[in-house]
Amino acid sequence: MKNLTKLLLASVVSASALMASSAVTAVKVDANLDKVTYNSAIWSKAKTSKVMLYPQTTIKFNDKTANTLNEDAKAIEAKVAALYNGSKVAFMITWPDGTKSIQNSDKTDTYSDGFAIQFAEDFSDPKKLPYIGMGSDGRPVVIHLQKEAFGIYEPNGEGMVGYQVNPNQTDLFGKDLEKFEARVKSIASNDYEKNFVSEGFRSMTEIKDDTSKSYSRIGYANKAWTGTLSRPLKDEYVSLNAGAFPVAFAVWDGEKMGRNGLKHLSSWVAVVLESSASKGPLVSALHDKVSGDASKGKEVVANNGCVGCHQIEATDAPNLMGPSLSNIGGYSTSDYLRESIVDPSAVVVPGYNRNAHSNYMWYTEADGKRVSTMTDYSWLEKADLEDMVAYLKTLKAEAK
Amino acid sequence: MSKRQLAMVMDLNKCIGCQTCTVACKTQWTNRNGREYMYWNNVETYPGTGYPKNWMDLGGGFDAAGDLQPGIIPNLEADYGVPWDYNYDALQGGASFEPNVEPTWGPNWDEDEGAGLFPEDNYFFYLPRICNHCTNPGCLSACPRDAIFKREQDGVVLVDLDRCQGYRYCIAGCPYKKIYFNPKISKSEKCILCFPRIEQGLPPACAQQCVGRIRFVGFLDDEEGQVYKLVHKYKVAIGLRTDYGTQPNVYYVPPTESPVKFDAQGKIIDGSGRLPIEELEKLFGPDVHQAIKTLKSEMKKRKETGESELMDILIAYQHSDMFRLDNNYYNQVAKQNGQKALAPVDTRYKVGKYTKSGHEMNFFHDGEIPTGGHH
Repeated sequence: MKNLTKLLLASVVSASALMASSAVTAVKVDANLDKVTYNSAIWSKAKTSKVMLYPQTTIKFNDKTANTLNEDAKAIEAKVAALYNGSKVAFMITWPDGTKSIQNSDKTDTYSDGFAIQFAEDFSDPKKLPYIGMGSDGRPVVIHLQKEAFGIYEPNGEGMVGYQVNPNQTDLFGKDLEKFEARVKSIASNDYEKNFVSEGFRSMTEIKDDTSKSYSRIGYANKAWTGTLSRPLKDEYVSLNAGAFPVAFAVWDGEKMGRNGLKHLSSWVAVVLESSASKGPLVSALHDKVSGDASKGKEVVANNGCVGCHQIEATDAPNLMGPSLSNIGGYSTSDYLRESIVDPSAVVVPGYNRNAHSNYMWYTEADGKRVSTMTDYSWLEKADLEDMVAYLKTLKAEAK
Repeated sequence: MSKRQLAMVMDLNKCIGCQTCTVACKTQWTNRNGREYMYWNNVETYPGTGYPKNWMDLGGGFDAAGDLQPGIIPNLEADYGVPWDYNYDALQGGASFEPNVEPTWGPNWDEDEGAGLFPEDNYFFYLPRICNHCTNPGCLSACPRDAIFKREQDGVVLVDLDRCQGYRYCIAGCPYKKIYFNPKISKSEKCILCFPRIEQGLPPACAQQCVGRIRFVGFLDDEEGQVYKLVHKYKVAIGLRTDYGTQPNVYYVPPTESPVKFDAQGKIIDGSGRLPIEELEKLFGPDVHQAIKTLKSEMKKRKETGESELMDILIAYQHSDMFRLDNNYYNQVAKQNGQKALAPVDTRYKVGKYTKSGHEMNFFHDGEIPTGGHH
């Protein structure tokens, strides 16, 4: 029996090793990439890579129905491809979804499927990338979001706020009234696409001054969504001309009431520009296997009382103090884990409104800077730290 | 917690359920563009299902330890009710009179039903409800986008529609279900305590129009104000379901007067009352006993001596005393913040921050309406 357990464990470990995402190679093309969509023939030139997306379980939201629907969420395997030319870079992400969900403009409790692609503004030091969940203080990210369209009436990007009167309050009848209603309908926006800049959960702010240009489309076929994004290689927020740059992906499932943090997300994934000579240390930082021993790391975690504040594995009781770590291996880089253990205040995500759990002060503020209440584990032996990181990297949901 | 807090007191002994407040609010704020189903102000029959249906069972608020509780987002058809209209235009052509949607539920579906057996001991009273502009708002705590804020100058809780992303955690977090999702614009909206009126020294539309004069409006720290006197001096006005832990700022004078019961022979049971105190305790907590005691004794005092400050307040002689608002205060606040005081017509609605074109209405204008994305 013991051997069987061992055997099963071994197979689980190898399965999760197989689940790791690989770097994406961006293929150089001469074609215009300005208006690339999921139907564009140009994608036949692209190389596809596998990217794993894990359920966000770091914090739990207060929607009872949604929490029940997402209780047993599994990882999703997405396929990602990238193309670039002299000025633009384009991404395509395909992920399975059994149902096509569109937020209905006549209902209060429906949600759209959608996806987002996140870029780091500064990735010169691959050990200090922005926090995966919408960046962190001093480490901003730019996020491109597109959802399956539904008519949004106001503000609709055109700023037409004048047609929000009740049709019964106009002095129109018959044909004129029909005309009026058709006009109101025609000014509804069917393009959800939004770009954001963010330095951490909560700070996310929509870019509305046209400084971030993009073209994003989303389509559903054969029980899977395909989303595309075309954006400049360089704008005032990010410069992706380097040999390799990090991106992260997230997808939402409207059927599971997915929105905001109720989503699946990847870790930072390296995108390598095909033609560039130097790839830098990013690829190995993001995709090399951790050297530590995961089973020893589990003991280190147990011996250091991490469970006092964190939910470690999904089977542990939830804890409101620290973020849940049950999928941390799925969406965190090993450098982020290392940094957070030895220097907990390096990245303190403002996260959930502290007012919501006033007895769990998981950070304090000093001189406008957030100071984590987590103990500093910088005294850990190097080997123990590596083992711990190796163990934390195994904490992630299995694929569907 | 804000520096000052505006509050409203509603005297339930005098509410006749006429819905004038509801209509005043609706015509002012919610009769258009995705807000049709919303009642920022509603008057429900208690005991009853309320609006939205069984809102007290939908979660939200805080537990005794101060942790935000998960909640449920109500469904439009089942819990709020789809607003319906009739085909008046088609009647001229000989069509039969039909609603545009089959009505299956709506606010006040169970109006005046109440509880108990007619004629022996049936009873109900009306419970008008607006946003409680809580000191510890559940909606604000639930928002992951910092889109909800509580104004320093008067504690009014507002949604920043520019930051709101339509996630709806606020609706789950509010135990009173007094914040609503506008599906047409995909953002949450709620009672704004008529702040553009308040800042001009005018009471909210619901309070101004109340024919029973049951609503008092003023700052909780204004010791000369009737709101202060009802809430703090006499302690006869109590928050609704304070056990939700949000510290609501709408206070209710509990109903004290109810008809007597009849026995099986139809005879009056002397000294009986139809309103079970347990029901009032459920809504207003244990403080309701003392409040009722004070109200009864002041009523007696008034009868005997002709004098009672509390009874004089509750008679509501003058709007000018019931509504203690101060537009000079708001002008000062605006000055301190380097802002202009709110103009009588809020120009932000005329030309929004992101409005590229003006929107003077011209219903017969046949020109092109610009369409298309913005990226």
